[in-house]
Amino acid sequence: MERTEKSCTLLVHFDKGTPALANEIKEALEGNDIEVKIEALKKAIMLLLNNETIPQLFITIIRYVLPSEDHTIQKLLLLYLEIIEKTDSKGKVLPEMILICQNLRNNLQHPNEFIRGVTLRFLCRLNETEIVEPLLPSILTNLEHRHPFVRRNAVLAVMSVYRLPQGEQLLDNAPEIVEKFLSTEQDPSSKRNAFLMLFTCAQDRAVNYLFTHIDRINDWGEQLQMVVLELIRKVCRANKGEKGKYIKIIISLLNAPSTAVVYECAGTLVSLSSAPTAIRAAANTYCQLLLSQSDNNVKLIVLDRLNELRALHREIMIEMVMDVLRALSSPNPDIRRKTLDIVLDLITPRNVDEVVLTLKKEVVKTQGSEHEKNGEYRQMLVQAIHTCAIKFPEVASTVVHLLMDFLGDTNVASAIDVVVFVREIIETNPKLRVSIITRLLDTFYQIRASRVCSCALWIIGEYCLSLSEVESGIATIKQCLGDLPFFTATEEGEGQESSKTSNPVTVSSTTVSSRRPVVLADGTYATQSAALETAMSPPTFVQGSLASIGNLRSLILSGDFFLGAVVACTLTKLVLRLEEVQPSKVEVNKATTQALLIMVSMLQLGQSSAIPHPIDNDSHDRIVLCIRLLCNTGDEVRKIWLQSCRESFVKMLADKQLRETEEKKAEAQISNAQPDDLIDFYHLKSRKGMSQLELEDEVQDDLKRATGEFTKDGDDAFKLNRVLQLTGFSDPVYAEAYVTVHHYDIVLDVTVINRTKETLQNLCLELATMGDLKLVERPQNYTLAPESSKQIKANIKVSSTETGVIFGNIVYEASSNVLDRTVIVLNDIHIDIMDYISPASCADVAFRTMWAEFEWENKVAVNTIIQDEKEFLNHIMKSTNMKCLTPTSALEGDCGFLAANLYAKSIFGEDALVNLSVEKQADGKLSGYIRIRSKTQGIALSLGDKITLKQKGGA
Amino acid sequence: MVVLAASVVSKSGKVLVSRQFVDMSRIRIEGLLAAFPKLVGTGKQHTYVETENVRYVYQPIEALYLLLVTNKQSNILEDLDTLRTLSKLVPEYSMSLDEEGICKTAFELIFAFDEVIALGHKENVTVAQVKQYCEMESHEEKLHKLVMQSKINETKDVMKRKASEIDKSKIEKNRGDKGGFMSLQSMGSGRIDSSFNDLSISSTGSGFGSGSNFGLSTEVDSFSTKSKGRAPSAATAPPKGLGMQLGKSQRTNQFLESLKAEGEVILEDVQPKAGQSRSAAPPPTDPVTLTVEEKLNVTLKRDGGVGNFDVQGTLSLQILNQEDAHIQVQIETGGNPSILFKTHPNMNKELFSNENILGLKDPNRPFPTGQTGDASGVGLLKWRMQSTDEAMVPLTINCWPSVSGSETYVSIEYEASAMFDLRNVVVSVPLPALREAPGVRQIDGEWRYDSRNSILEWSILLIDNSNRSGSMEFVVPAADSSIFFPISVRFSATNTFSDLKVVNILPLRGGTPPKFSQRTQLVTENYQVV
Repeated sequence: MERTEKSCTLLVHFDKGTPALANEIKEALEGNDIEVKIEALKKAIMLLLNNETIPQLFITIIRYVLPSEDHTIQKLLLLYLEIIEKTDSKGKVLPEMILICQNLRNNLQHPNEFIRGVTLRFLCRLNETEIVEPLLPSILTNLEHRHPFVRRNAVLAVMSVYRLPQGEQLLDNAPEIVEKFLSTEQDPSSKRNAFLMLFTCAQDRAVNYLFTHIDRINDWGEQLQMVVLELIRKVCRANKGEKGKYIKIIISLLNAPSTAVVYECAGTLVSLSSAPTAIRAAANTYCQLLLSQSDNNVKLIVLDRLNELRALHREIMIEMVMDVLRALSSPNPDIRRKTLDIVLDLITPRNVDEVVLTLKKEVVKTQGSEHEKNGEYRQMLVQAIHTCAIKFPEVASTVVHLLMDFLGDTNVASAIDVVVFVREIIETNPKLRVSIITRLLDTFYQIRASRVCSCALWIIGEYCLSLSEVESGIATIKQCLGDLPFFTATEEGEGQESSKTSNPVTVSSTTVSSRRPVVLADGTYATQSAALETAMSPPTFVQGSLASIGNLRSLILSGDFFLGAVVACTLTKLVLRLEEVQPSKVEVNKATTQALLIMVSMLQLGQSSAIPHPIDNDSHDRIVLCIRLLCNTGDEVRKIWLQSCRESFVKMLADKQLRETEEKKAEAQISNAQPDDLIDFYHLKSRKGMSQLELEDEVQDDLKRATGEFTKDGDDAFKLNRVLQLTGFSDPVYAEAYVTVHHYDIVLDVTVINRTKETLQNLCLELATMGDLKLVERPQNYTLAPESSKQIKANIKVSSTETGVIFGNIVYEASSNVLDRTVIVLNDIHIDIMDYISPASCADVAFRTMWAEFEWENKVAVNTIIQDEKEFLNHIMKSTNMKCLTPTSALEGDCGFLAANLYAKSIFGEDALVNLSVEKQADGKLSGYIRIRSKTQGIALSLGDKITLKQKGGA
Repeated sequence: MVVLAASVVSKSGKVLVSRQFVDMSRIRIEGLLAAFPKLVGTGKQHTYVETENVRYVYQPIEALYLLLVTNKQSNILEDLDTLRTLSKLVPEYSMSLDEEGICKTAFELIFAFDEVIALGHKENVTVAQVKQYCEMESHEEKLHKLVMQSKINETKDVMKRKASEIDKSKIEKNRGDKGGFMSLQSMGSGRIDSSFNDLSISSTGSGFGSGSNFGLSTEVDSFSTKSKGRAPSAATAPPKGLGMQLGKSQRTNQFLESLKAEGEVILEDVQPKAGQSRSAAPPPTDPVTLTVEEKLNVTLKRDGGVGNFDVQGTLSLQILNQEDAHIQVQIETGGNPSILFKTHPNMNKELFSNENILGLKDPNRPFPTGQTGDASGVGLLKWRMQSTDEAMVPLTINCWPSVSGSETYVSIEYEASAMFDLRNVVVSVPLPALREAPGVRQIDGEWRYDSRNSILEWSILLIDNSNRSGSMEFVVPAADSSIFFPISVRFSATNTFSDLKVVNILPLRGGTPPKFSQRTQLVTENYQVV
């Protein structure tokens, strides 16, 4: 793609509220007051930047501003010249530009060295050979100026001139001159610029210079060393055989005092060689930087580099694991997470012990100081250890006990992680079962969080196998529940009284926090019950009569009946197991009655008025089921309770592992090209004026991408879908637009065809936008010959994902009647939000926090002809370009319901969340809702519109 | 390793200033900058954002972001360094760190950004350097302007001299002629007035201009007074007998005359004394003139150290009219303890030592008045200061001759103390007899070779804070190093070691104190490096 847009060198905010009139500016420029002149010149520049071309101002400036002696005026003048249009529409230099040449030459011979310098700098940005040519002798004399400021800019000017399209003819001896200059130059900055010039324009000379001065390379300035490294990279990429010569230089530069150089060295080493020694040296360097640099940005980016190394040279990075791990000393959670991610991928049987030891130490450290970040960090560490233990089960024994100390952690998230870990280990490591159970029963009373409790109870119910274990399990639960009943009649009275006083508080707090619907883990959309949320807050009114209230008791008294149901189930399981291991029937019956008593009192509590919310139906049913079961046991039920639970858990673990390995496989596959993939020959791509070398240089590519020169060519087949017809076939002017959407801008390529037999004058494509779109340029006028066509380009800037509409019309004058302007209104162009949205994934937890946070919700009722739930989901995913976060395993099966979470991110970094809940009606139709949430109204609305439009499906 | 752009954007995403260092289209940079505020998350402890193609490295400054857009391969360490420099610069140029403040100084910021990043590459500069670069105060330009000014003055002088010569010769020629001039003047003055306006303006203009210049000013002055001094004499000539013929050269004088007759004040004619002498000090015009002069006798050793350092100062008084002669002079000294003051024998010593007032022992006697033979008037007070402290030396010269093959490279550098601003500094270096001028390789200032005396004169018009040190290097054929000594130095300054000032003049006979003027100068008498 050839670039036709002018490059833009500066932007200044311009307040349109105070328009400066051209006349005022002109007057001020003609005056004598320097201050006024400066202000006026600034305004002129700002107007020019704002596309207000004032052609008559140029002559005023030539006449009244050019001769000024004031330095600021001269500098502003250079800026003005920098942005002014210097060529006509055909690319020829405007004749009046010759006027500025003399001034530039005077500036280049100015006694003030700074004027010379800034003028030379201005020349670097000049592309017009015709203007530069007469100045060449002056530029070259400035290479010998006494002041380094002048010389350093003069070299850059020489370089820019030489790089112009005809530069090599203009200054064919430039490399020689600069080489000579370099050999005598002392100023480090001028030296750098000179070397840069040789590097870009005459590489062999640069190499030559490098080798003649190789012994002094360590004394060179930091900047020069950087360019040297760049040179080495470039040379070696072109000529792999010469690598050997340069490696030594790099190694010697690795000891440079400047960290920037060291960093660059490491990067160069990696790009040059894949020899283990080189990679090791680079990795070592990165690790040192990681430790020595205190700046978080540096650490993160160095970690990125290490991560790249990890992907390419895993074996070597494995040796470095312990060095990388030292970055954990940084308090920044992002750095810690990245470090752990790298390390976890590098764990082998050989180093796992060491790593886990370090992780353990870190965990212990978090215990010491109660810092608010510690909880998060601990959670990270627990997860890391968890991963280690899954990979290498033998380490589990060393950590599980340590981690179990954290079951009572105030940070619920980390405690949950621990308990999940324990649950997994106890299943996968049968050897540890006994010790874990003993430990769990010992520490159970410390657990505060309801979710942790229920998980721990499940473990107790499942894995207490021997008689003593079962017995102590029942005992522990009983102890934690405290004395029965949960409340007495008198207490009820008191409770009611106190509930009256405190009820408003609780109620108000719950209504504030809990009335919002949430998305559950399985993707179902639910109104959260207040009980779950208040569970975490300490019980406000019903205090147990004993001093040592168990944790279970206080949780249940606060209204957490879900936990109550879990307790009931656990007790049921334990009793059922007791029946198997306890020979004495009496003991079993005793335990059964005790369990029943507990369940009954829970039900009683649930129905009493002492609790703000009565027991919910689910929990009630569950407890009743347990009671019924204990009263009437059967073999079948026993099997379900004692075996099937465990089996499904094992299945879940296997599924999880399978999914992980599959993901990994998929990842590995993406990085490899398919055997029948197209091979992209860079050289054959449609890019002009670039040597082969540059094209192969990834650094250059990177730069090109960054400046927007490099755009991924889309699939040609779809290109034509984007052509929009703007006017009718019978209109005197036919217009159609081809819309290209780049990252942050839209290019309209409008083809205008004159269908009449007359010449159309002052034809103008006027566009107006709605939404977050902005026209970049003002429209120009064209003259269109009879039956000829014209391509007009219009750039439109996009600043958010809001749906935009572009309106427009074509205005022209027929040649026969100049005053008669005709207007043709164009079809609206709708900019599709889908161009800005790309599928992304995020953690389930993150999704749910965002769901809770985001303010805008758009609810769309499902109305579709699609009959199958999954097909509908796929259809929505395809038409909205979103990714389904709900795992496919959860969507399997046919139950007539489907709930899924979808997620996408816009290129502006906005999140788009969608929840889809559908149910198959009796008549086979789907019904339900699609809810869209986002931080900004734009996404919610436009995505909603899109879904409404597309959901019908079928077509 | 390339910075694409340096920008300042507000937290709400408004682009206040942006300077691009590589070619990129407007839509591209605007897009990048517009996307940035949305990409910056809150609560992060690092300050960079990476997108698919670019990296933003930023720093929040109050309600703004200062930001560098770089490519992703860019060296983060270097970029952070650049960002730090820029972040120090922004408050230097922008008084208030808000949108308004940045907008006001947008262009200054662009200029500063340009100094730090050249074509996307970082320059190794400090904040102070950037400020210096942006101020663009160039010593060389000053010199250049001075040289230009002096050239202009010189040509003007030549022009005037020529004019006065022609004038003179015409007068001589016309002296014999008789005729009624007055009638002619009365009838023609109006016309002459208008026709010669411009001529008179140019001549007065140069008279003023020269007063503010130093260096060449004395010469100009003397010339201007010369021509002006003629004016009255020329004006008196016509009545003696000037013919009807109106010589061209006379017109100027006539014009002045007629202007005077019409009550115009012609300023340069205020000077009452036709000082024809080419003395350094212009003749006094105030009724009372006090001159403080210090002469320096210094011998410096060539390898450092002070051989002899001696300052001799005088305060002298010149009174034009007898009426103003009954006065006392109140002075103030700089309090330099190493200076010993001595009064004239006729002075009241007690009055001086107690109150720092200089008066005659006999209060009824007036001070001598009128134009005494000595240009500077009557000496009232003398002082002397001697020292071996090198810190007191106003200008040290360091000369390093080194023989290399058949050539001797001599580099000389001066180092001026911050106490004085030295004017008209001339360093004269004796050279071996040469056939042609020595090759000067590098010089701060100007040089001149006096072939008759084999002396290289290095002159610097002004040494002030901008050039406290400077150097020169020249090459001569191989010679013994001792030949370059003794180097003698001349200069003057307008402040003195004693810092003596005349505070007031107390009239003894009451009434208002007469106006007085004060001249202070430090000159070299014998200043050598041996």
